[in-house]
Amino acid sequence: MDISAFVLFWAAIFTSNILLTNFLGMCSYLSVSKDIESSFGLGISVIFVLTVTAGLNWLVYNYILVPFDIIYLQYIVFIIVIAAFVQFLELVIERYVPALYYTLGIFLPLITVNCAIFGVSLFLVIRSYNFLQSITFAAGSGIGWLLAIMMLAAIRRRLKERLVPAGLQGVGISLIITGIMALAFVGFSGIVQIQ
Amino acid sequence: MKETSKDIRIRNRMMPGAITLNGFIGKDKRSIADIIAADENTLQTLQKTPEEIADRMQYFTDASFSTFAGNITLDDIYDVETEVTRGKLSCPYAHGGQFRKSVTKLTNTSNNVTVTWTALNIHLIKDHHFFEGKGSTYRTEPENLVKALF
Amino acid sequence: MFITILKDVALLSAIGVTLAIIMVLAQRWLSNYGDCTIDINGKREITVVGGNSLLSSLADKQIFLPSACGGRGTCAACKCKVESGGGPILPTEKPVLSAAELAAGDIRLACQVKVKSAIKIEIPSSIFNIRRFNAVVSEIIDYTYDTKGISFKLSEGEKIDFQAGQYVQLDSQPYKGVKQKVSRAYSISSKPEISDSLQLIIRYVPEGICTTWVHQCLKVGDKITLTGPYGDFLIKDTDADMIFVAGGSGKAPIKAMLEHLAVAGCTRKMTYFFGAKSTKDLYLTEEMHSFENVFPDFKYEPVLSHPDATDNWTGKTGYIMPYFKDAIRDPKNTEAYLCGSPGMISAVSKSLMEYGLAKDKIYYDSFG
Repeated sequence: MDISAFVLFWAAIFTSNILLTNFLGMCSYLSVSKDIESSFGLGISVIFVLTVTAGLNWLVYNYILVPFDIIYLQYIVFIIVIAAFVQFLELVIERYVPALYYTLGIFLPLITVNCAIFGVSLFLVIRSYNFLQSITFAAGSGIGWLLAIMMLAAIRRRLKERLVPAGLQGVGISLIITGIMALAFVGFSGIVQIQ
Repeated sequence: MKETSKDIRIRNRMMPGAITLNGFIGKDKRSIADIIAADENTLQTLQKTPEEIADRMQYFTDASFSTFAGNITLDDIYDVETEVTRGKLSCPYAHGGQFRKSVTKLTNTSNNVTVTWTALNIHLIKDHHFFEGKGSTYRTEPENLVKALF
Repeated sequence: MFITILKDVALLSAIGVTLAIIMVLAQRWLSNYGDCTIDINGKREITVVGGNSLLSSLADKQIFLPSACGGRGTCAACKCKVESGGGPILPTEKPVLSAAELAAGDIRLACQVKVKSAIKIEIPSSIFNIRRFNAVVSEIIDYTYDTKGISFKLSEGEKIDFQAGQYVQLDSQPYKGVKQKVSRAYSISSKPEISDSLQLIIRYVPEGICTTWVHQCLKVGDKITLTGPYGDFLIKDTDADMIFVAGGSGKAPIKAMLEHLAVAGCTRKMTYFFGAKSTKDLYLTEEMHSFENVFPDFKYEPVLSHPDATDNWTGKTGYIMPYFKDAIRDPKNTEAYLCGSPGMISAVSKSLMEYGLAKDKIYYDSFG
């Protein structure tokens, strides 16, 4: 792929937003967006995990999976790497930033199964990005995810839930809002095409 | 939908055996937010706010505390009895509130409705709009409370 | 083909094992805090293995900060001053600390603060007398339909040093649907002269986690743990007349006080008013009346407010307040010891003060 890493970075945030365009990473996005502070903490963790695991997975793919011809095992290996890294991150956060550890609670280990993380690792394989492109694409995706969750959290805070019909309260209205945000982001799509 | 870690911690504290023997949720499978929303809707149709109900409950509880044995009859129709046990209970929302273990029973002799509540109930209703889950020991339906108290 | 499969599996396993080894090393390095010192009140220093909560680290060294919720961060009983080494205030502590405590910055919940490095704390010195005891249930007496007297024999060689009127915190065990332990306060009802066992009087409270466990599960021979002694509801060493007022399970500290005075000797005028509803609430009546033969001037006065017609009760009826008149000979030289609900205590205090007792000579152990 010939796209510059810089362009990839911005594209990952706006035109190819991992959440609003690709609809990956919805689960924790919908639950944690009730509270703006947790959303911010989770978003920062996602950026960090995404960037590092994308780098790690790129290295593992190109120096272990390809040379040894076990590309078909990429799904398992990527997940193992992500799980191990998140576990490691949990230990580090518990030691150095215990306040964040308690705020995130169960959502920290849940980042492991956040499909945005896995999705980005697979994208960089499918689109054959080089190392720099992978890192910037992942960082951009993380920032795009953070952007999306912060927007939903801000809207939910102002939303008068009691005006919403009973059947749509909670998840229903969140999905509709997400859809409207995604439509708005479609407006960016002509700027640069990376998928 | 998953609850945030804060909600999960609060719900765990409401389970049987955490703060009281039978807990605050009973057999209700709804999330705490849903329980509160449903009761708030009921109260809107009854045209009473949780604060009004809680203040009235507090009025009766305080009145019965003024007597030696904890019972009193007010306005000829409200028979109130309160029993207190030693110790304090903390609110499951864990904001540091400690509440005495008192159980107040009020019988409205004009319509024969009896309701029972604890000091913690008054706080949960006033500050958290929480009437406890269906099937829990101290849940009183808002309609019964309004019928008995007013 | 077979070789390929073996090779692939071996590679996958190698990746997995490498990551696992990295994780184990990371765990050792990151979660291991080594030995940490806790400096207490500037006078005593203890060394504990790092990584545990302050509450449990102190408990391991036999220093027991009060705790009713067992370390879950809800009861706020374990508040203490952490001068340094406690780290930042955690979200689990913030809800339970008052605005003034948050502003001071050094009041923390011992059950939430983790000991990760050298830490300096300040705790009241009375805490040092509190210990955890292992005991075995030696006797269960049914005093009334809802009240039991439970005797506990402490483990071999252990002795409890307490004063009459103090209480202990009994730890309940998981049972039936209750998965967690709680600890609840009960006054000691036996005399301090017996130091290798103690008795508690426990009334069944329908929604109570601990009393349900005691009444439905506890049997002679069961092992339990308790901590104590706590409390400052004590007899004052003067020669003033004494009036005791306690109903129901409130009799426990009074029983301890009277049994102790019987041994220590007491010539003061004493009257004990036991207020109850009907005869089925009375218990230990003979023992209380027997004190009238032990002390030169002691009267036990049970007063029933709603005796059943079938009881044939010939004693005093109604509430106890009107009967104070006969028990008070010199209000300025009379002390009162009350144990019961806040409502009872305020009604009785008011009545005693109307009879002329001084407010600061009315001592109470209030339930709420």
